[in-house]
Amino acid sequence: MNPDGHPLVVSVCYIRIAASELHASARFAADVFGLQRVAEKNGEIAFRSDNRFRTLSISNGSGAGSSIGIEAWDEAALVGIEKRLTKGGFTVSRATTDDCRLRYVQAALLARDGSGNSIDLVARPTQSGRRYFPSRDAGITELHGVGIRSTDMARDLQFWKELGAEVSDWVGDITYLRIDGLHHRIALYPAKRHGLLYAAFEVETLDNIMQNGYFMQERQIKIVQGPGREPCSKQIFLHVEGPDGIIFSYVNGMKEIGSVRRPARQFPLAPQSLCDWGSEAKDVPELSAGVN
Amino acid sequence: MINLKDVSYVRLGTPDMESAETFATSCLGLQVAERAKKALYLRSDDRSHTLCYTEGDPSDQAVGFEIEDEDCLQQAAATLERLGHRVHGGSADEAARRKVRAFIGFDDPSGNHIELVVRPERSGRRYFASRDAGITGFSHIGLNSTDPGRDERFWTQVCNARVSDRIGDIPLMRVNAIHHTIALVRASKAGIQHVNHQVESSDDVLRSYYFLSERRVPIVFGPGRHPTSGARFLYFNGPDGMVFEYSVGVDEIEDEATHRPRQFGFEPTSFCMWGSKPAGMALPNDK
Repeated sequence: MNPDGHPLVVSVCYIRIAASELHASARFAADVFGLQRVAEKNGEIAFRSDNRFRTLSISNGSGAGSSIGIEAWDEAALVGIEKRLTKGGFTVSRATTDDCRLRYVQAALLARDGSGNSIDLVARPTQSGRRYFPSRDAGITELHGVGIRSTDMARDLQFWKELGAEVSDWVGDITYLRIDGLHHRIALYPAKRHGLLYAAFEVETLDNIMQNGYFMQERQIKIVQGPGREPCSKQIFLHVEGPDGIIFSYVNGMKEIGSVRRPARQFPLAPQSLCDWGSEAKDVPELSAGVN
Repeated sequence: MINLKDVSYVRLGTPDMESAETFATSCLGLQVAERAKKALYLRSDDRSHTLCYTEGDPSDQAVGFEIEDEDCLQQAAATLERLGHRVHGGSADEAARRKVRAFIGFDDPSGNHIELVVRPERSGRRYFASRDAGITGFSHIGLNSTDPGRDERFWTQVCNARVSDRIGDIPLMRVNAIHHTIALVRASKAGIQHVNHQVESSDDVLRSYYFLSERRVPIVFGPGRHPTSGARFLYFNGPDGMVFEYSVGVDEIEDEATHRPRQFGFEPTSFCMWGSKPAGMALPNDK
């Protein structure tokens, strides 16, 4: 927190991913998942899910175009963030004008967490004047948060704490981090490699989660897990797999952390700690809670 | 007019009482109220029983509806006899076995065995479930009908039911503010089509979906949401092929004076707005 009382970071603002087949992934994002395609520039196709101009970008290639964008309060906050991350021994550099243009932001720091995930800290991300209008009625209201693969949980936790995030709860070593009033926006999962685990998009109601589930089933799109409900956050979720194993999730109903502070709770690493309803993950070790 | 106050109980014959009890407790979640000679009484709410399995044939079924008092019972008997239904006045012993003060039995126009009961017993102790299914109580039935138009007229003109909505020619009928207590489903012969228990929340519906699936209980429809009543539901098979349903969030019709039943087309989205489709459940063909 700043002396002014506002947080350093305010939201998960975009996801950039690399795809082995750009147009197949783009079709998945728009026609299957329900995002609105907005632009194609410099080999990246941009999509939106809410009032921001862009919340997802897909580019061709190896992974150079991958990062998670976190919105900072303002450019002054970026200065503070740069100091803290540098002091903490994290890789961080100022984004060039071109980097910023590519990211549809006014200013940015390009950083790496403890596992090597690319995290962009950005200021003044572009909003859109027009309202979001997707090609199918998935009920999406906004980019909600992310699940991130961590190969060094201690360092990653330190990284996020430098940004002002706090731990809400643990499941085994899976760490749920909050940056605003909601239970969590970022979840860190112990993994054998780094990278994005899932991008979560909020939908209006349980109806939308269930409709999207049947929609996927009808088209034989793989559902990695769900519909389910996370016990610690009460968030209802549906993890859907697209090309290259990318996971996009529909979520709803996450509870607020509330005004009374409480210590983070420890849940055991077991499937019932990740889903209260009884769903289990298929083929994704990070979500399998220790079950093979 | 025969004034039905509420549905009271379902009686089902079964050749295998032990399996019925196992299913009713460990799958469905009902509480054993009493084990009598050849009868098993099960609770789901503050009533002394809402489901009774009797040793016998699965086609031996009855649905009990509560009416106001014994005068009403006499009048109902007279009305039904005038219409040509054979009416059976329950003996004291038979009434005791149904845990009611008095009752009459008759067949509806499709041949479903209906009992009108007076003063059905309530229990002093609260319901304690056999498994955490979140059941709040027995709520309604689906009833087979060999002629939905004719049977709708019976329930709405001879009895006091009102149509809340229709799907094709399936009327969903209420006897109080609850959207429906009786749903008529076209079938080739009489029988109870499904038995519904209400649960506390959508979470319970989804939990039961996973719980029952894990135990290989056939899920015949759902998890889903009825656009008619708004309820989130799950239908599954029990002993002798009976279909049981959990649901939550059934709408109430507050305004008797102005409510007009809506007509939904006979298609999957009229039964489920989420996209689930019935599997193996005898949802009738419309011709």
